[in-house]
Amino acid sequence: MLQPTAIILQAAFLLVLFLFVAWVARSTLRDLKRPDEQRSAGPPPADATGIHSAVTAGAAPSGPHDPRLVVERAPGHTPGMEYEVGNGAILGRGEQAEIRLDDPYASSRHARLSMQGGRIVLEDLGSTNGTFLNEEIVSGPQPLHQGDHVRIGDSEFHYVDN
Amino acid sequence: MSARNRELLGLLPASLLIVAGFGAVFLQEQAKLGNLSLTYGAIFLGLCLAAHLIIRVRLPDADPYLLPIIAVLASIGLVVIYRLNETLARDQAQWFVVGLIAFAATILLLRDYRVLERYRYLIAAASLFLLLLPRIPGIGQQANGAYLGIGLGPVTFQPAEFAKIGIIIFLASYLRDTRALLVSRKRFGITLPRLKHIGPLLLVWGLAMLMLVFIRDLGSSLMFFGGFLAMLYVATDRLIFPVVGFGLFGLGAWFFANTVGHVADRVSAWQHPFDPKLYEQIGGSYQIAQSLFAQADGGVWGQGFGQALISVGDSPILPAAQTDLIYAVIVNELGLIGGIVLLLIYVLFVERGFRIAVLARDSFSKLLATGLTTVVALQVFVIVGGVTKVIPLTGVTLPFVSYGGSSIVANFVIAALLLLISDRARREARR
Repeated sequence: MLQPTAIILQAAFLLVLFLFVAWVARSTLRDLKRPDEQRSAGPPPADATGIHSAVTAGAAPSGPHDPRLVVERAPGHTPGMEYEVGNGAILGRGEQAEIRLDDPYASSRHARLSMQGGRIVLEDLGSTNGTFLNEEIVSGPQPLHQGDHVRIGDSEFHYVDN
Repeated sequence: MSARNRELLGLLPASLLIVAGFGAVFLQEQAKLGNLSLTYGAIFLGLCLAAHLIIRVRLPDADPYLLPIIAVLASIGLVVIYRLNETLARDQAQWFVVGLIAFAATILLLRDYRVLERYRYLIAAASLFLLLLPRIPGIGQQANGAYLGIGLGPVTFQPAEFAKIGIIIFLASYLRDTRALLVSRKRFGITLPRLKHIGPLLLVWGLAMLMLVFIRDLGSSLMFFGGFLAMLYVATDRLIFPVVGFGLFGLGAWFFANTVGHVADRVSAWQHPFDPKLYEQIGGSYQIAQSLFAQADGGVWGQGFGQALISVGDSPILPAAQTDLIYAVIVNELGLIGGIVLLLIYVLFVERGFRIAVLARDSFSKLLATGLTTVVALQVFVIVGGVTKVIPLTGVTLPFVSYGGSSIVANFVIAALLLLISDRARREARR
């Protein structure tokens, strides 16, 4: 025999459970819609080192001189190896990539370097695991600066242009 | 709202569940509603607050939803176990406290979990030893044909619950080193690693098969091996590994199902639970058939708390109701609705776990979070799949819900490790 109060308590029990699920699921869905929310919450502070503001990016009066990508550590590459990137290059695991990454976390066409407006610009080509510029995930074209650190999976490079 | 305040808010539903759940059970059993259920809710809230404070101080950036999810699961478990047996519920509450202590100890002592990598072979050896302990005569105990528990004085203890954590740590560390090598060689257009790289992995497969024969437990074996394949897939991004792995596992399981008597019995009980001969037979299909009856009886809305028929006199209607069949009891009393919401909560747990793996920056953390989450997910699959007749029934616990000390303590350690990984990942991501 079920008591009416017991039924109400049981309904309350289920209601609390469903509300809890809805609450967690809501924030989870929000995370999924903006996957990099937690990585780039708000603009970087003005004095942040290693992150270059987009405004000063095009300000360099003369273009880069002899831009190169230097291997720091990458599977299948000798550290210190340099790639000329003045004419642009695709980084990836696939056959058509100019800079082949033997890295399981790299996509076949992972990222692109190209000359745009007198600067070398790094773009992620919709890779699965993302491209990191100075340990910030790259979303949209990012101009490179002397000494910038580029990471794809476990492959790490830095950029030099003089 | 900050992550930690969100976590604090999330603990409220769990204590409300305790109050409402215990209230409903008291009403059913004693036909009166005391304020004891409020006291229980307050004690539970206090324990969760202690865990919350430790996280607030030591892991300020950790995932805010994991602890509330665990608290909700544990509160469902406590209510249902209390409804089954008051003494067991008291035990379970004590184990919950021990679990929280283990949780706190893991967080406080293991500030940088990456030191675990240094001891990986020691951890692997200790885990193997733990797995084989139940076969040692004198302390090993056999239950329903499977060797899972050991008895040390008054306490029985299931070493496999702890061994699974150790093996996941070992595999995460091993795969971090070798994942590049595993995909480096291609033959005939497919990835074909050298024997010396794939060897240890074949060893793990052999181990899973060995467990099937020696410990006679398909569930744990599936859990370990599935967790291993998930990690292998994440480490190499090659679908061929899990495909071949499941093929090998299927082959092995099929072979043993036809040759080892104990496994064969389980399989025929699973295929024909309503066969009168198997139903009557000791260790036959009685348990799985009764579980299916109980769930069907629950319907969509359930029979109500305290309504499930657990036993008549001394003969059990639902054998092992507090461990293996707890999901069947929940579906009987709370209905399909209750079963669905419980599974949804596990889905959320697994989602949080994989999210931690996605956010983690270094390979070891990524693999460790993947492995730990997959093992919990597979454990839920093995037991819920077992009681709903999707796969042969094997006795593993429903994480955080079933009665069982080793299980709850081990799962709290898993949760602590996930929070440690999450704290580091989210702190680095914020920078």
